[in-house]
Amino acid sequence: MTSMDTAFTEPSAPFNKSVFFIPALIAGGGFLFFILLAATGHPEKAWLVYLTNFMFFTVLSCGGLLFSTLMHFTKARWSHTFAAVAEAFSAFFPVSFVLFALLFIGQNYVFPWVGQDLHGKEVWLNVPFLFARDSGAFLILYSLGFGYLYHSLKFRLKTAPQNTRLKIFLFKRFEQSLHDPETIKRRMTVFAGWYMFAFAMCLSLIGFDLVMSADPHWYSTLFGAYTFIKAIYAGFGALILLVSLLHLNPKVPFTLTPAQLADMSTLFFGFSIVWGDFFYSQFVVIWYGNIPEESAYIVERTMTHPWSILAWTVFLCCFILPFIILLSRKIKQSPRCMIVISSCVLAGLWIEHFLLLGPSFLAHDPAVFPIGISELIISLGFLGLFSLSILAYFKELPETLKTNSGEGVQWK
Amino acid sequence: MNTDAIIVTGLYNTQEETLAAVEKIQEKGFEVTEVHSPIPSNALAQALDRKKSRIGWFTLTGGLIGFFSGFALPVFTSTRWNLIVSGKPILSWIPFFVIAFEFTILFAVLGNVVGIVTQVGLPDPDYEKNYDPECSGSLYGIEVASPPENADSLRDLLDETGSLKKQRETK
Amino acid sequence: MSQLTFETINTTVLDTLSRPGKAYWCIICLLFCGVIMGASCWAYQIFVGVGVAGMNTPVHWGTYLINFVFWVGIAHSGTLISAILFLFRAGWRNPIARAAETMTVFAVCIAGLFPFIHLGRVWLVFYMLPIPNQRTLWPNFQSPLIFDVIAISTYLTVSSLFWYTGLLPDLAIIRDRSQGVRKKIFKVLSLGWSGRTGQWMNYSRAYLLFAGLATPLVISVHSVVSWDFALSVTPGWHTTIFAPYFVAGAIHSGLAMVLTLCIPLRKIFKYEALITMDVLESIAKTIVFTGIIVGFSYATELFIAWYSHNSIEMETFWWRAFGHYAPEYWIMVICNTVIPLLYLSKKIRTHVIPLFIISIFVNIGMWFERFVIIAGSVAHDFLPNAWGHYSPTWVEGGIMVGAFCLFFFLFLLFVKHLPSVSMTEMKEMIHKVE
Repeated sequence: MTSMDTAFTEPSAPFNKSVFFIPALIAGGGFLFFILLAATGHPEKAWLVYLTNFMFFTVLSCGGLLFSTLMHFTKARWSHTFAAVAEAFSAFFPVSFVLFALLFIGQNYVFPWVGQDLHGKEVWLNVPFLFARDSGAFLILYSLGFGYLYHSLKFRLKTAPQNTRLKIFLFKRFEQSLHDPETIKRRMTVFAGWYMFAFAMCLSLIGFDLVMSADPHWYSTLFGAYTFIKAIYAGFGALILLVSLLHLNPKVPFTLTPAQLADMSTLFFGFSIVWGDFFYSQFVVIWYGNIPEESAYIVERTMTHPWSILAWTVFLCCFILPFIILLSRKIKQSPRCMIVISSCVLAGLWIEHFLLLGPSFLAHDPAVFPIGISELIISLGFLGLFSLSILAYFKELPETLKTNSGEGVQWK
Repeated sequence: MNTDAIIVTGLYNTQEETLAAVEKIQEKGFEVTEVHSPIPSNALAQALDRKKSRIGWFTLTGGLIGFFSGFALPVFTSTRWNLIVSGKPILSWIPFFVIAFEFTILFAVLGNVVGIVTQVGLPDPDYEKNYDPECSGSLYGIEVASPPENADSLRDLLDETGSLKKQRETK
Repeated sequence: MSQLTFETINTTVLDTLSRPGKAYWCIICLLFCGVIMGASCWAYQIFVGVGVAGMNTPVHWGTYLINFVFWVGIAHSGTLISAILFLFRAGWRNPIARAAETMTVFAVCIAGLFPFIHLGRVWLVFYMLPIPNQRTLWPNFQSPLIFDVIAISTYLTVSSLFWYTGLLPDLAIIRDRSQGVRKKIFKVLSLGWSGRTGQWMNYSRAYLLFAGLATPLVISVHSVVSWDFALSVTPGWHTTIFAPYFVAGAIHSGLAMVLTLCIPLRKIFKYEALITMDVLESIAKTIVFTGIIVGFSYATELFIAWYSHNSIEMETFWWRAFGHYAPEYWIMVICNTVIPLLYLSKKIRTHVIPLFIISIFVNIGMWFERFVIIAGSVAHDFLPNAWGHYSPTWVEGGIMVGAFCLFFFLFLLFVKHLPSVSMTEMKEMIHKVE
């Protein structure tokens, strides 16, 4: 018991206030750049970057939490420690919702179809209805995620001291509800199931509404599913990145074994193939049918300058490199290697989000490379914001980093 | 191993007993040449110091051959006549990828089979040497090599470690 | 479960290989008659011409293609269970893996028959092979139909090899416990397997690689089959969602067929200790999952048909639900998406009769889904002048019944001559638990 006591005081050590400073600075800088870009006559570029980052980090965080719900639902045993870290991604949910609401401000730029004659599609593509249904979707998805998290925390915080307001609030709620571990697990299963169902439905809807509609005359039935497969791929990549970083940080009590990381990396490898398969399914059907209404979309994005450069980069980073590199078990077991690979994949997926949206927002100009300094700084700002949420989660709930938290704990 | 060494085999009930027996026999200086088991076991493989399986290389080789021949076949065949069909380019990599993918898997599996034949050693016409049919049921069989002089002490050792009363000796 | 030992597993399974009774031979004879009937219908078609089947303008793909896709779909969940669940280390796969793999091999064989039947002039089948004709003209490898040839042949080869490899240790078990002619046969079949540690190590690695290769193969094969339709421009066919939609549908129907096969198998062979209710429940829960995916696909197609504001797309999907083939459409929707939801009830999925009945409904629904997609889309495409109907003839019906009889005939032969539960994997499973 004594070693556990010291472990209680340890976790908060790496998460004192100073660790928030740099991400906050970057986030602030990004925000300033955004205002600058929007105000100096390039609002469509500013809002394009905003939307890209919003989509990227939102789907990533939803996919991250999905790992925990999926592992719980399928009663997998190897992944308890990872699931704890995966739950941290839900900290971005409230931020994502606020960012979504802020999209309303730039509606004339965020939605290229605003003001266009859509020959009847206005019933679906109009700003009030879109915001209503998408806010509803996010609310449902995020509530289910938090419901799952709430019950999962009953296990993870079992041995935590009540030293913050959030924990005192949570413990008061825990007292009032049932303590039987089997009931809690069953509730977690129910929430996990509904979260995963809502994940598929809501992210499909978001994909259709925010990304596919950027070109309102184009459509693809697989686009919704493609969006949530991307989300899972990105979420798993971000999870691997996060657990590797936590493992390599000596001040954090979180550790993982090579076998666990190899299993997670194998799952990630599997998803790189699934992502590739979904991408190819859309691509081959549109390419082969060669119907101009459909093929114009992919021709612009994969075969014309400057977008073709980005397209090949995406293909390289998200499929070729992970496929070849992750065949080696040694690499899959090494946190350092996995940090490199998952960063590579995540960068590729970011570019992919930008690539899908970009040509609808920017005028076609083969000479101009669409990603410039301002885009990078604004994106770093979003990354800073995302890191702040994760750090805040771990500062509030450091017990989740202990390797024996979760359902494996014997409930006394 | 000298040419007049004999093999003594013993049968055991469970994997744990077998592992303990293998350890003890190896401690006493005898060479455990083989263990027959009804199910695979990593622990036994480690105790007998077996090298890691090399089948993966056969599979990888097959896969690479398949990948390149899967592209080579459509490329070769469409360039025989250079006809444009359905408005597709003569060398259309996107559909050819499907053929390459299937060939990769097919040849990787064939490589796997070659690996099985060579590494697992099947077909094996001599399998009955030192093999007890119970080993496919529920018993584990240990083969130990020893010079004939030590055969008695070896048999006693097998008895000590819990071997069932079905020991055999063969050359 | 706790009463299972290596010996009881062996005896339970080996007992099933004893001399069969009269009832077995009666059913085999009946099924064989069905096969002969189907073969006669096919012979009639070869002599008279493929016009005796119902295909004509505009619907030129009918029950033969429907059955082709149906049987390939059934084959897929066998590989899902034996390969994909193996990679995920799901223990509930072990008791049913052997029966599922066997189902795959036989289903692929039957699926492969249908393009052959559909040819009409079957002596021209060599056109499909990758060999040049007398003018050095080769098959067009850009065509999805040739993708199919390559994909299905690969799938048949890989599934058979995977199945046989998995059988090897079990064949050795039978060899060691038989006498006379039987021992000789199994001696040859088991290739001299003796369970040496080195053999097991390499074998386990090879099996893992098989599973790892079979998984992308499964997904690619049914994607290729779906692209037979999606790579055209016909409305209702040309849609990007087909690849994952068909794969999910394939697994949906295949799992239902696994239930249809394993429930009687379990009862007749007294496998209750091996194929426990937990296993059947897990299959049922997975069917709910795949049913949801299929339902999601239906809904997405409908939504995008409206969203596209393309008058032809909208007409196609309206007609599917309310046109000439509306009954088939609603059978499809209800049997595939609504009825499987009954499995959400614990009471239903823990009793064999409801499990069995619902699995039959799912298979019926999935057959009709292929009907709606294949016949329904081509019947009502771009030009109203070209709209038409299709109904199968007695020849097609006869061949279809013959194919089903052939499948069950082969499966029944299998269960009496080869171990229908993998003894080795069951032993591994209980050893892990101990």
